[in-house]
Amino acid sequence: MSIMQHNGGSVIAMVGKDCVAIASDLRLGVQSLSISSNFEKIFPVTERLYVGFPGLATDVTTLREVFRYRVNMYTIKEERAIEPTIFTQLVSSTLYERRFGPYFIEPVIAGLQKTPSGSYEPFIAATDLIGCINFAKDFVVAGTASEKLFGVAEGLWEPGLEPEDLFETISQTLMNAVDRDAFSGWGAIVHVITKDKVITRKLKGRMD
Amino acid sequence: MDVSFALTGKGYVLVAADTTAAHSIIKVKSDVDKIKELSPHLLMAYSGEPGDTVQFAEYIERNIRLYQIRNTYGLRPQSAASWIRRSLAESLRSRHPYSVNLLLGGYDVSTYTPHLYWVDYLGTLAEVPFAAHGYGSYFALSLLDRYHDPEASLEEGIATLRRCIDEVAKRLVVSPGKYLVKVVDKDGTRVIEI
Amino acid sequence: MARRYDSRTTIFSPEGRLYQIEYAMEAISHAGTVLGVLTKEGIVLAAEKKVTGKLLDLSSAKEGGYGGSGEKIFLLNSNVVGGVAGVTADANSLVNYARQAAQQHLFSYNEDIPVEQLAQRLCDLKQGYTQYGGLRPFGVSLLYAGYDVHYRFQLYHSDPSGNYSGWKATSIGANNGTAQSLLKQEYKDDISLEDAIALVLKVMSKTMDSTTLGSEKLEFATLTLDSEQQPKAKIYRASEIDALLKKHDLAKKDEDTEMKS
Repeated sequence: MSIMQHNGGSVIAMVGKDCVAIASDLRLGVQSLSISSNFEKIFPVTERLYVGFPGLATDVTTLREVFRYRVNMYTIKEERAIEPTIFTQLVSSTLYERRFGPYFIEPVIAGLQKTPSGSYEPFIAATDLIGCINFAKDFVVAGTASEKLFGVAEGLWEPGLEPEDLFETISQTLMNAVDRDAFSGWGAIVHVITKDKVITRKLKGRMD
Repeated sequence: MDVSFALTGKGYVLVAADTTAAHSIIKVKSDVDKIKELSPHLLMAYSGEPGDTVQFAEYIERNIRLYQIRNTYGLRPQSAASWIRRSLAESLRSRHPYSVNLLLGGYDVSTYTPHLYWVDYLGTLAEVPFAAHGYGSYFALSLLDRYHDPEASLEEGIATLRRCIDEVAKRLVVSPGKYLVKVVDKDGTRVIEI
Repeated sequence: MARRYDSRTTIFSPEGRLYQIEYAMEAISHAGTVLGVLTKEGIVLAAEKKVTGKLLDLSSAKEGGYGGSGEKIFLLNSNVVGGVAGVTADANSLVNYARQAAQQHLFSYNEDIPVEQLAQRLCDLKQGYTQYGGLRPFGVSLLYAGYDVHYRFQLYHSDPSGNYSGWKATSIGANNGTAQSLLKQEYKDDISLEDAIALVLKVMSKTMDSTTLGSEKLEFATLTLDSEQQPKAKIYRASEIDALLKKHDLAKKDEDTEMKS
């Protein structure tokens, strides 16, 4: 079995009306054995930007720490928060540095991008494990349940969802997709990012 | 063939590891201590490739001690766990990676809370209420799912640990005979007779 | 005679002195004053700015960032605020070093760097320049106002020789003798944060050259705990400093307000 499936786990991000959402399951396993049902793979980068790291769990922690270091140095030197587009380039170049011995992670990025006029517009992106960026206008998925996530999201997502509707859509998509995946599940966590706040909720799914 | 378990309770972490040293099918020793006391409030049970285990455990032990000598205070469990995880994660992508799995039980004297970390040779780190490594984990984890109580007293915790040991003795073909059990709480670390 | 012993940092004079270090200290005693006062509830830091003037462009300091105009008071890490006195260019380089050291600690140990360790890291660097040949020492003294779980709130001072010490209240830069004796008179072990702010402003107004205080001459910061008991650094913006001075009745009179923001 591929190293990408070793620990299991999935992440999805979706665009709504003036908001974005990012969600993941909470399982950490070793092949088919579950070790933890509270392993978070999504981390805040700024107040309006989150990143999810589905893939090999050791690299989840390593990359979280690498990006925290790089973003903190950026923030303190530039004296401003990093924007989603810039962070995405940082993710891409950091992963490509390990082109021939990669981190086994396919990051998913979701945030609100500040426009020159001062408003915010939704931004989501995902990359492969060596940093090839995939920008999307609707949704991005990654992890062991990615095929199922694609299918359910394709059916449920529609443009212009308000924060509460987006929360419902992303939650239903994730829950129904991970129920068909043996390597993802054990509850979920959902973040809905809006202009002035982030709504975070933990969900209980089929806890078996 | 190593087996190790650990579980948290009210203000303590119990850590147990078998005491067997084996060479292929032969038991060469039956009183090996595979749980290091890294600091006054930190225990580390280690298992994996013979040779790597002791080498890595001593490297960790001495660096944790060095930090304590340099700064008068030691690392808190959470920080020690992160540092140890990093050591394994860096080792994984080196020419000769260590194959060592760990259970870290600690008591944080600044927040008065027990912490248990499950760490594997890849550098995977998870904070958990209970954990196990080796063939014993397949039996112990399901028992602990049913019987673990984070608010249990030390006596109740020991009773739960006993269930795990007995189950492994009953069902596992290559089950070890003896276990060493240690506990860490506000008073520090000590051995528990079982 | 002195010439023979002060041209290099590594050479002791016959009286056992290192002249270059003493010159560095001298440079600092002409720099803007920095004051720090420690309380149980937090730490107060204030600094006198020397680079002022009508034509100085302060537009970048007004918005964004983490507050402050970036001349004297810097955020070194989420749990440490630093105040610098001395050669500004040297200070910038040390601030950058401190930030990097703090982030490296966070990276290695997944915790904020303990305050004393950060001071030690900078002192190790500074000490090196008193011993290795061909280099001059950093002309900078620093105050570190920080918080960690081991010793709660702490205030440290480090000088160009690489010495450091912990204080309840101290000052560096011009007139630090006056400031120290004022602090010694007025400091009480159970001083509240509010009283410490008042004390700092009072001492500042007495040690500074100008008769009235204003945001163009002053930097100000506090380090406290938030509702989740996490350290929270606040470096005041120009408008906040003016409001604070007004509250303590130390603000400029309106007729000489040229640079009111």
